[in-house]
Amino acid sequence: MSVGRRLPRVDAREKTDGRARYIGDVERPGMLHAAILGSGCAHAIIEGYDLTEALAAPGVRAIVTGDDCPDARMGAFIKDEHAIAKGKVRYVGEPVAAVAADTLAQAQAACRLIQVRYRDLAAVLTPTEALAPGACILHEDVAAYEKVFDAGSHGNLCSRTSYAEGDVDASWPECDLVLEDWFEAHAQAHDALEPVGALAEVDANGRVTLWSANQSVFRVQANVCESLDLPMSRLRCLTPRIGGGFGNKMEAHVQPITVMLALKSGRPVRLILTRPDDFEMVRVRHPARVRVKTGAKRDGTLVAREVEVILDGGAYADDSPGVLSFMLRMCSGPYRFRAVKAHGKVVYTNKLRSGAFRGFGQPQVQFGCEQHVDEIAKRIGMDPFDLRRRNQKQAGERWFGGQDVRSCGLAQCMDAAERASGWRNRRRGGKADEGRLRGMGMAVTAHISATLATGAIVRMLEDGSIVLNTGATDIGQGSDTVLGQICAAALRLDPRDIAIAGPDTDGSPYNWGTTASRVTYTTGRSVQAAARDVERQAKEQAAEILECSIDDLELREGGAVGIAGVPGKQVTFRDISRRAHWRRGGPIIGRHSWVFDKPSIDPKRAVAIGNPSNAAGVFSFGAVVVEVEVDTVTGKTRVLRAWSAVDVGKAINPAAVEGQIEGAFVQGMGYALVEELVWDGGRLANPTLMDYKIPTFRDTPYDIETIIVEAPEPDAPFGAKGAGEIGINVVAAAIANAVTDATGVRFTKLPLSSERVLRALLSAPADKGGR
Amino acid sequence: MSIACRLNVNGAIQSVEVDGAETLLTTLRERLALLGAKRGCDQGVCGACTVLMDGMPVRACLSLAANCADSPLTTIEALNRDALGRDLQHAFVELGAVQCGFCTSGMLLTAYALLRDNPSAELDDVREALSGNLCRCSGYRKIIDAVLHVARPRGS
Amino acid sequence: MSDTVLHRPATLHAALELLADNPDAHAIAGGVSLVAIINAQLLAPTALVSLRGIGELEGIRATPDGGIAIGAMTRHRAVAAEARLRGPLGCVSEAARSIASPPVRNMGTIGGSISLGDPGADLPPALVAVDATIEIANARRTRRLSAREFFVDWYTTALEPGELVTAVRLPASESGTACYEKLVRVAGDICIASVALSVSSSGTARAALGGCGPAPVFSDEADALLSRGLGDAASVQAAGAALGRVAKPMDDVRGSADYRRMLIPRMLARAAARAFAQLERAA
Repeated sequence: MSVGRRLPRVDAREKTDGRARYIGDVERPGMLHAAILGSGCAHAIIEGYDLTEALAAPGVRAIVTGDDCPDARMGAFIKDEHAIAKGKVRYVGEPVAAVAADTLAQAQAACRLIQVRYRDLAAVLTPTEALAPGACILHEDVAAYEKVFDAGSHGNLCSRTSYAEGDVDASWPECDLVLEDWFEAHAQAHDALEPVGALAEVDANGRVTLWSANQSVFRVQANVCESLDLPMSRLRCLTPRIGGGFGNKMEAHVQPITVMLALKSGRPVRLILTRPDDFEMVRVRHPARVRVKTGAKRDGTLVAREVEVILDGGAYADDSPGVLSFMLRMCSGPYRFRAVKAHGKVVYTNKLRSGAFRGFGQPQVQFGCEQHVDEIAKRIGMDPFDLRRRNQKQAGERWFGGQDVRSCGLAQCMDAAERASGWRNRRRGGKADEGRLRGMGMAVTAHISATLATGAIVRMLEDGSIVLNTGATDIGQGSDTVLGQICAAALRLDPRDIAIAGPDTDGSPYNWGTTASRVTYTTGRSVQAAARDVERQAKEQAAEILECSIDDLELREGGAVGIAGVPGKQVTFRDISRRAHWRRGGPIIGRHSWVFDKPSIDPKRAVAIGNPSNAAGVFSFGAVVVEVEVDTVTGKTRVLRAWSAVDVGKAINPAAVEGQIEGAFVQGMGYALVEELVWDGGRLANPTLMDYKIPTFRDTPYDIETIIVEAPEPDAPFGAKGAGEIGINVVAAAIANAVTDATGVRFTKLPLSSERVLRALLSAPADKGGR
Repeated sequence: MSIACRLNVNGAIQSVEVDGAETLLTTLRERLALLGAKRGCDQGVCGACTVLMDGMPVRACLSLAANCADSPLTTIEALNRDALGRDLQHAFVELGAVQCGFCTSGMLLTAYALLRDNPSAELDDVREALSGNLCRCSGYRKIIDAVLHVARPRGS
Repeated sequence: MSDTVLHRPATLHAALELLADNPDAHAIAGGVSLVAIINAQLLAPTALVSLRGIGELEGIRATPDGGIAIGAMTRHRAVAAEARLRGPLGCVSEAARSIASPPVRNMGTIGGSISLGDPGADLPPALVAVDATIEIANARRTRRLSAREFFVDWYTTALEPGELVTAVRLPASESGTACYEKLVRVAGDICIASVALSVSSSGTARAALGGCGPAPVFSDEADALLSRGLGDAASVQAAGAALGRVAKPMDDVRGSADYRRMLIPRMLARAAARAFAQLERAA
């Protein structure tokens, strides 16, 4: 039985041999190379282009600008983006023109010869500036843009959302303790090791084939077709191996521009962004200002929470409304508050768009929320774990807004993390004499997987072997392997006998994408159901062959159907399939498709305004403990050890789950301590790996212990829930709590850079670790 | 200006014409069809382009191809010719040290050079030797475990 | 760049002649800085003069006066491992060990690195602290400069067009100790700030800071204070203040100028304590 086994990934071998092919490795005969010219202005009207010199440059085959794309717009929630800047530019780095030439150097040289006439407009660089009366407006037509929900867009307000359950205003007076603080969380660059890229080729019939580094071939198809006014049947989207995504490759990047160049030049065109362009042109994690207000009773009962979020959405809406709504729905944490009110806005600014990034707003909002819970525990003298236990959600209860929580391993996660970390015996305070202070901190979280649409097709080939086609993109997290394991387990086959078809909009069933921790649950469920469909059809065949009732039949290991209790009586998949192909019934094709349709808000419990989603909702849970050391001479903080316990329902492949948790922890640690995008006006000041830093081997503790907890989710494939994002959610919060434990100082701004920590230490009163 | 260049790559002499400022990474990928070395930053920071020159890890993205003529070069495509190389590849696969795989070529070659020179490498040796290879997916843990799995404990 | 001519001279003289004849040509040593700049399209040189394989520029050898000469093309890896860089010279090897990453240290050279004049580089403050001499040549003559004079400004050294660093000379060292303290965001980063400290057992101490100004920051007053009282907190504090008065730190993405000012006395104190303890242990 392959489920639960640490099987090697199906794509690992080729990656160790250098034979895996990523978008930068894909070539087509006669292929041109492309480069993009980004805007130097943060906000300007494009008055015109002079392409004469560039067109005359050596090797240049085509140049595209906003004049080459229709006035059609794409966007996941609010359709506010053209394929390339058209009429105006709204952020420094926004693609303004693109060149396809014989060589990359020629394309880059030609870009430098393109002249764009800009008429500068005032740029708004923060939500406050953008919302100020008289501020220059980025999207004058925002009210008229097509939207998938009631966004309330006007001026530079991109969207607004609120949820409320119970009466928070009436609750504050009943609290013995009310905390209220503004927290500031910063932008983070995805920095997947592979920069984004695409390759487009037009065939003799005018049909476009598009390979790209992506997290969803279907989102690529939708974005390209919407922005270029193409029928979807004219575009086929494919996926090579992907070098990481983390949210950067879910919505459009250079695909529409690449298609434009292929259409204009009549030749295949490959466009791979340089690293600086990848930093400057694509998307980042939302900078957020979050006001958190939490009220509790002296006995540790959490009573009420209010959260107000202001998201800096950058120049285009992208996934922002989704991020906002998710942050707001998750701001209650996994607790039984009597009343919760969550409201917020996404604001347009003249900066790089903010979009999906692992955690989808949770790292920002939980930085504040989980510090509040920690602070309450401190002030009432209760252990932080015990305070959470006192208030924790249980299976059978409902989440803020009304979603059913049908499985909940939070208690086991907390017990496991507490035990493994030695929390009860932890030494309080650090070694101040050597200039280093130690502390421990914890935080808990929940995350939602399951959302939107997906399908699966399982086909039995003539010889009885199996092909699985789901359209899900494996971005390196291991979904091909995991889905194969689910299919194999359902059909009692060895996973090595399952062929995984790559995502292809021509041949794959729709899959919204690899995002939102959704593939194992949402697509896995379809895989299991499609496999059951295959089982049913195979049994129908077998019943005729063996002349028995279907009810007498069972699947047998290795691809066979037999009569239960009669070991000798069976027929192989091979014989079944041959019969189906050549004699009776037709080829066996198992199928399933579904869309998650349980609404996330129950109007009987909660009031929602501007709710962009989208049903979503099976819950994973987690608890993180970290031990940190703060250098009091420099302020530099490092994580010494960490424990992350995660309830994933069922670990289909435990090694893959651990890989996600470990990687998410380090990405969260980087966010908490060292990763910081720095803007100089509207321009990114550090769009390179020299200047934007992520943790290396030497900055990362070896002792990151992943503890897998399994509280199976009903209706899930083998009980499995999502694992891709939950590991990052409260890393910053736990580190902040640990630094507070070490130093006595609370931090309301991220990152906890060495400068920020030193300043705080020096200005804090001496008894709080200051000096 | 094209320079005729004879590069010793994976034990075979390859005659190529390269441009004056062409990097080894470009030559490997575009002229020699050796796509295993990856371009992650073109600045020598990420490590995805790491190859072995004279047996030592170097950045192909910062090496001028024409300056590499005298030095034997090893790329990921040749790693499986060597028992230590195969052991490392096997350990990476079996122990879950490969996720998106973009860092893997550089990681394996650097780990290979480490264990070849220091067969009993320990945790801090591994972290130091690989400190110039970034990974965004794994959190490094399983890569360390895979390398240590192949390392021979001291005295054995 | 398909138009770049790459020259590969076999001797130093040939290299210097090429540089004299081609004012637009750039010398390329390890390439780690120059090729990165070319890759970023910030420079499109018409000609490069490669120094690889020029024997006169390679090797670490003892000099007649008891010192050490490090050839300009010596890789950081070799400087980092050089056993003769011990005692008061130890900050040079420690600084080399902290540069970037192992693969970059396999490629980068001391000559190339110091010629860049990067205010955040590691070797410059270490070389100032040990009172190194930089040997320079052009097609007509050779000359020497102290490290203090060599590093002039932001990405500016005293090198004139057509000149190359040929070697770095370190003085004969008595016994003593040294250390290099470096604050980084992550391993291998350019420093936020660094302190190189060299102390001879006869008591002469010299300190220099990296990342705290357009060139390494040093002060005779600070050196005098450290020489008198390496183990005395007040003297070290005063030395830190003296260095702070001449430092000219800037804001950059790694930290603010203000933060660097805060760090100077604190990191100096840590370096001094470390050096003092090392001397005590050796005694």
